[in-house]
Amino acid sequence: MAKYEALDEVFVALADSTRRAVIRRLGEGPASVSELARPFAITLPSFLKHVRVLESSGLVRTAKSGRVRMCTLDRERLALVDGWLAEQRHVWEGRTDRLAAFVTELKEPS
Amino acid sequence: MTDIDPRLDLTLDRVIRAPRDVVWQAWTDPAQLAQWWVPAPTVARVEKLDVRPGGAFVTSMSDDGAAFVPHTDSVFLVVDDGARLVFSNAIDSSWHPASPEPVAMTAEIVFDEHPDGTEYRVVVRHADPAARDRHEQLGFYDGWGAVTGALAALAESRAG
Repeated sequence: MAKYEALDEVFVALADSTRRAVIRRLGEGPASVSELARPFAITLPSFLKHVRVLESSGLVRTAKSGRVRMCTLDRERLALVDGWLAEQRHVWEGRTDRLAAFVTELKEPS
Repeated sequence: MTDIDPRLDLTLDRVIRAPRDVVWQAWTDPAQLAQWWVPAPTVARVEKLDVRPGGAFVTSMSDDGAAFVPHTDSVFLVVDDGARLVFSNAIDSSWHPASPEPVAMTAEIVFDEHPDGTEYRVVVRHADPAARDRHEQLGFYDGWGAVTGALAALAESRAG
């Protein structure tokens, strides 16, 4: 279930247009916080809150190099969303397997 | 409804070698549903299975057969006897709008005739996690205000 908890945070992180824009930008390659903040008409402290949400979801890693904080996208984390759908498929396939086995046994009691 | 978003929805087709009414019974009889709803060794308990539109579909599950935790809490939207079931957890069994984590889903189960038994089809539609954000941006109250305004205008024009 720990994986699902991580997923909740990923969904929360993605449920915001500023943060999605940051993800899109980071898809092109790493960038500094100030570079990322530039297109947005919000204060740096508010922007940093978004960065922190992204960081705690694991979608973005940050590292200080000198006086600059660089952000990198964790693509594997982003892939969790796809992984989750695959898992839902697995749940429904398993369910269908069990239903099929159950009704087939009903029909031909052995 | 055939709208499917391949990014968020899943579909599954299967021919089950049993008559359609037998498969339908396995879904709609609580004792039978409990037999296959969750994978062993987990045990399912069907708390409510009121198979009609608006009816409750509630299950709980247990790993040790003693302590049960909530599992499914949803409501039937469509029930075509013997042919189709649609249920969603976006509304809970007491009709309260719900926010299931991580996103809400609507499941559609279709039972069709097939020469070998039953053509069984599952479509699960998932909410777009970004949709919540859009909803916020549109402004919940503004949205309702606009709808109410339009309704009032319509009512007034008819009255006038």
